[in-house]
Amino acid sequence: MPPAPWKTIDTDVFVIGGGVAGCMAAIPALEAGLDVVVAEKGKVLDHCGSVGCGVDHYLTIMESGPEWDTPEFLLKHVPELTDGIVDMAVTSRVIHEMPRVLRKIESFGVNFKDPRYNDYYRLRSFGLPGTYHINFDGTDFKKHIGQRVRKLKGTVLTRTMAVQLLVEDNRVYGALAFNFRTGEWVVIRARAIVMAAGEVNRLSLNASGVAFDSWHTPYNTGDAQAMAYRAGALLANMEFVETTLTPKGFSAQGLNALVSEGAYFVNKSGERFMFKYDEKGENARRAVIADAVINEYLLGNGPVYADCRHLPPDVLDHMEATLQVDRYTMPAFYEQKHLDFKTEPVEVSISELSIRRSGVYFRGSGLAVDTDGQTSISGLFAAGDCATVSGGIAGASVLGHVAGEGVAAFLKDRSGALPEVDMEDANAIRERAMAHLETEREQTLSWKAFEDQTRRTVSDYVGVRRNDKGLRLALDTLRALAAREPELRADDLHGLMRVHESKSIRMNAELMAECSLTRTETRTRSSHRRLDYPDTKDPEWRRFVTVTRGDEGPRVGTVTCENALAAAFDRLNPGGVANAG
Amino acid sequence: MPAEAKPVHNPIRIDPEVCVKCNLCDWICPGDLIYKEEDNRETLPVVEYPDECWYCGLCQSICPVDAITIIFPKQMIQCKTDVTTLLGKVVE
Ligand SMILES: Cc1cc2nc3c(=O)[nH]c(=O)nc-3n(C[C@H](O)[C@H](O)[C@H](O)COP(=O)(O)OP(=O)(O)OC[C@H]3O[C@@H](n4cnc5c(N)ncnc54)[C@H](O)[C@@H]3O)c2cc1C
Ligand code: SF4
Ligand code: SF4
Repeated sequence: MPPAPWKTIDTDVFVIGGGVAGCMAAIPALEAGLDVVVAEKGKVLDHCGSVGCGVDHYLTIMESGPEWDTPEFLLKHVPELTDGIVDMAVTSRVIHEMPRVLRKIESFGVNFKDPRYNDYYRLRSFGLPGTYHINFDGTDFKKHIGQRVRKLKGTVLTRTMAVQLLVEDNRVYGALAFNFRTGEWVVIRARAIVMAAGEVNRLSLNASGVAFDSWHTPYNTGDAQAMAYRAGALLANMEFVETTLTPKGFSAQGLNALVSEGAYFVNKSGERFMFKYDEKGENARRAVIADAVINEYLLGNGPVYADCRHLPPDVLDHMEATLQVDRYTMPAFYEQKHLDFKTEPVEVSISELSIRRSGVYFRGSGLAVDTDGQTSISGLFAAGDCATVSGGIAGASVLGHVAGEGVAAFLKDRSGALPEVDMEDANAIRERAMAHLETEREQTLSWKAFEDQTRRTVSDYVGVRRNDKGLRLALDTLRALAAREPELRADDLHGLMRVHESKSIRMNAELMAECSLTRTETRTRSSHRRLDYPDTKDPEWRRFVTVTRGDEGPRVGTVTCENALAAAFDRLNPGGVANAG
Repeated sequence: MPAEAKPVHNPIRIDPEVCVKCNLCDWICPGDLIYKEEDNRETLPVVEYPDECWYCGLCQSICPVDAITIIFPKQMIQCKTDVTTLLGKVVE
């Protein structure tokens, strides 16, 4: 039988992921007159991605007058916010662009002002040296950004999962994707590609044991990182894990609102313990708060509670009224639990882990980018929670916009035909994928069982307490799982999407274990705690751990943080410092 | 496959009396869980993959007639897990 036909698309720019970063990258590219196609797993651009249901805080510089509200002031504090592991060049670009991108998003119709004051309501949290967070009703934040993309006539391939990049001589020229409702496969040829598919979730165990109960969206599974890694891109900071505090049983948002409004954390003896761990108390960085709670549990001081009872009634009322803004179902959870957070302490747990930005701003884990958002692969850009500089919706918006402008500049003086896609290769890739749907195989493995094993391995040996032996054990297990990937079974097209996600998750877990093994120190507490190397080693370990694909598996290297990560890009420094040392 | 045959908790309840069969919940669910026959005003939406729900509530928030209720499973509402079991094993 001849292979089924492909849908073919030629475009200037292909964006993988239509969330915050993807849309914000598409906008300047469209404004520059480029043809843009976005592939997105969701069906409705205005609501897809992490923030489809709304957001409540936006981190930004506004240049409103005081010194703390300037890029220079915030930048000065970035090394301490990130424990020195940060790409200052890219962060500087992002922070400087913040005011401009904020105004641009406002021009789309997003209202950042608090109707109570008809002004910006700005709060301090997570160790930041100023009241940088605008608290706002961001229910329609994504809607306005998505609408902008549609207004500018961006093409959106919905319910479409990108699975493979096409790269020749370190230059990206296309991708393969499939629609998981129709089964149609698409080959896209593009002059530039933006990776914006978010962070890595479904990676470790959570308190409820419900696999898709996760703080961040369980449908972001590190596909961009896995695809780009396989295509030869350089990744960094993959050793760091992120976790947060959640009401026990429901891995959900809300920590920012709690701490910025003044909630306390107390242990089983009623002790307000945060000051033991950080002079900023509950206002410490997320990574520090999570670590303190982990430690209290390990000391036998659990359960830990979030306590709001001391707060004045108007603050409690405001908290209650805005409870659903960040996570729509939070009121229903409390209601079904018969729990009133205004009068009772709420038992908290740490959430499952993700690979995102390890609880600190600006130190993202994932695809290394230069100051234009371009990765180590020519023509391949990245932004949002899959990139090495990130920071929630603001980080995704700003770096997304930077990448979109970077794409426009990159394509300005480049013309000429794109390479032809080798359809024999494309057919082979599709055939391997479709083989997961074959039911008549001797041995098959459900993606759920496969993922459960990945999660158990990560929680036990690659999570918040690491040592050499455990990490090696994890690597053995994760590689044994890789060998079984051809056995993975999908019952339908939807399942075929999940099978691809499971593979991405496992791939990212392996990279995390490899990179953790290399960093023989502890950095940012439980974001990377090596029990066998409990100290933070400065200046020796003021280095990024990087990883690329080698002939025999991941090739790990390091780069001093005095350099930008781009110093390790072969395309900028042929034969240069990549993976030196 | 007995493991997968055991009853799965249904994360959302769709009131068949109230639902106007508009398709919005199918379109909005970020996990591709809800399937509703397009262009058929007779059929109800079906939750095809109940164990893959994020409990995000988008379906509920978008439903024009409030036909959807989120129901958290017991493991979430009355979570009994010892948090220390999430904190890793130390291999000596
Ligand atoms: C409920 C919730 C509330 C939050 N509230 C806030 C807040 O108030 N303030 C804040 O700063 N941050 C908040 N965050 C974090 C913030 O949403 C993220 O940091 C931000 O959205 C990251 O942007 P992104 O574009 O990288 O990812 P997303 O916005 O999640 O977009 C990624 C997109 O890629 C798509 N995708 C994934 N894989 C593929 C693939 N293989 N092919 C095609 N498409 C794919 C996904 O469907 C998704 O739409 C919140 C997160 C959540 C989950
Ligand atoms: S709660 Fe969210 S994930 Fe669950 S069915 Fe509704 S829209 Fe889908
Ligand atoms: S959104 Fe509501 S009314 Fe529309 S199909 Fe779904 S349940 Fe029915």
